Formats: sequence, structure tokens, C-alpha cells
Amino acid sequence: MTISLFKKRFLNHYSTTDIVLLFLALLVLLLLFGSPLIAEEKKKNVYQDEDIYLRFIYRSAEQVAAFYEGREFPKPAIERAVQSCYVTLIFKNKSDDVLWLELDNWLFHKNGKTIPRYKQSYWNKQWDEMKLKQAYRSTFGWTLFPEVRDARPGESVSGNITLPMQMHPFSLTLYFARGENKKGKMKTVKLNDIYCKDAVQK
Amino acid sequence: MKNIILSLLILLFSANTFVFAETLPKGIIRIDARDAPALKLNDMDGNSFDLSKLKGHWVFVHFWASWCGPCRKEMPTIQATLREYKDSRLKFAIINTAETEDAVFSFLGSIASDIVPLMDSDGLVTERWQPRGLPSTFLVDPKGQLRYQALGGRTWNKGAYKKFLNQFK
Repeated sequence: MTISLFKKRFLNHYSTTDIVLLFLALLVLLLLFGSPLIAEEKKKNVYQDEDIYLRFIYRSAEQVAAFYEGREFPKPAIERAVQSCYVTLIFKNKSDDVLWLELDNWLFHKNGKTIPRYKQSYWNKQWDEMKLKQAYRSTFGWTLFPEVRDARPGESVSGNITLPMQMHPFSLTLYFARGENKKGKMKTVKLNDIYCKDAVQK
Repeated sequence: MKNIILSLLILLFSANTFVFAETLPKGIIRIDARDAPALKLNDMDGNSFDLSKLKGHWVFVHFWASWCGPCRKEMPTIQATLREYKDSRLKFAIINTAETEDAVFSFLGSIASDIVPLMDSDGLVTERWQPRGLPSTFLVDPKGQLRYQALGGRTWNKGAYKKFLNQFK
């Protein structure tokens, strides 16, 4: 009833041309102001400079569980896996030199305190305890960001970095040795506002 | 004078050879030749495969998993390449890393149904080969030595990659 009254009044006051023009104006406004907002949202978890591109994807426990359930992981392994914080990192070497990815040299920290990362060895211990089959260990291992790797010019590397769950955002300082023999100038990048998806609502 | 011209021609020729020899498609790297790790697996139909029996051929050794995004993107280009080189001297070993037959079957059925992959059911063969990640491709020379590695997924059936593979058929 109310809707038809609105339609009646609206259509009596405005011609079809007016309505089309109004629609077009709204579309232009959306294109002008809407897309930068969307783009900004996409850029939020991206850092890049002349040498590197980094994109962080924050995974919820639900997403992590769904992924490993899809790979038919046993329930206890999934329950163990989802207790951690998962940050998927996509890295690209944009420089003309080799850059070294050495997770032990990357510092996760908050208020001057280091947040210890869960390394591959931590996971091996977990899987040993529950006698997890080699196939699942292998798959899990391949989904982790490599512990040590050289990244050639143009090469992309991605994977999960796992940490103890953090209730508040934290910082990450990344160090990249440069050159085949690591003799080039060390690159340092400091990033704030890294977080665990389940613990922090962003 | 003759000698100078001859020397210049030789220099020019060697420079060109050097340039051609060093030009590789983007993302393909040369490896210092070393023996390829053992590769003995069964394919999804139960047929056995042994890399050591393929001496005399170049072999395209590819590691993949259905959960990896770039693998999904690359697989149709591998299927097209397999079709093209079916009767050539270039041989293929397409290895699935640590997945079940059901997962592999449902993935390949929709993306690249011609491929009958080798099943590295526990993932240990993949680990022995130490790929830089998944997907990963190696080219093994006729002596059984690793010679090239591809960084990530490549469009093997097109442009520079197709030309690159053509030299091995």
C-alpha cells in the first residue's frame, strides 16, 4: 500500500527521462567515489615498493578448517591446526637481484616483545604426537611459507605463516638478504597492523 | 685484412651463439647439471613409471596438487602440450603430490581429463626432488641430469615456452 502510494507520487512528479538521468547520475557517483573505496579496501593488506610486493591474507579458523577438511585431514589434526593464527603471505620479487626469504630473520613483535613463530619443526612435533599420516604432513608442509628460500627476480612465493593466536594487532619487521651470496645491501621493511583474523575484528 | 675480417666474423658468431644459448623464457632457470633424484611411481591406472628407463630422452617432470591455485591454471596448458608432443622424444612425468585418487580424479576430470598422473601418495618423492614450491617443473636431459627448472606455473603451449620445449622433441 505504502509502496504503491510512493510509486504514484514519485511517477507523477518525475518523467521517465528524469528517472533515467537520476539513475545515470547515481551510477557516475558510484563510479567516481565507490571504486576508489573498493580499491582502497583491496590495497589495505598490500605493501609494495620498487623491490618487493607483499600481500597478507588473514585466515579465520573456519577457513583453515574448511581447507584441510576438503583435503580429508583427520579431525584431531584439524582441531590442532585451527588453534593457531594463519597469515597467508604472497611475496613477489620485483627487483633485478636475488632476495632471500629467511623466516627466522623476520620478527613478529608487539610492545618490544617478540612473538615466536610456529616453525615447521613445531608442526612436525604436533604430527608426530598424533601419528599423522605422511600424506597429510606433506600437504600441510607445502601450504606453509618456506622457512628458507631464495627468490629469483620476478619469482612469486606464497604460503601460510603460523603464530600463536594474538588478540591485538602486531608488527612485522622483514629482513631480506640480497644477491646470490647474500652480499648485497640488506633490505628491511617494517609493517604494522598485522593481525589474527579470529581474534581481532578489522 | 683477411685475418681481421675472419676474426671479427668469428667474434660476431660466438657472441650470437652466447646470446642465443643464454636466452631462456621468463621464469625458466638453468640448473648446474646434477643427477636427477630417483623417480619410480605408479600412475593412476596402476602402470609403473621409472625415470631411469628414459635415458636418451628429455623428460618434463611436473609436480602439482589440486589445492594449489597456480596448478589449476597451468594444468590445461600441460594437457595441450602433452597432446602436441604425444609421439615425440620429449617424455612427461606429471606427479600429483600427496592427494587421494578421488581428489585427483575429480580435479582432472573437470580440467584436464587426458592426464593420467603419477601418484606420489605420501609426498616423499616430491620432497626428495625439492621443488621450489607447487607447481614446479624440471627438465631432465637424456643423461638423466637436471638441467632446467620453471619457477611457478607457465603457459607451456604458447609463445616462448612452446619454442623452448620444441628443442627437446
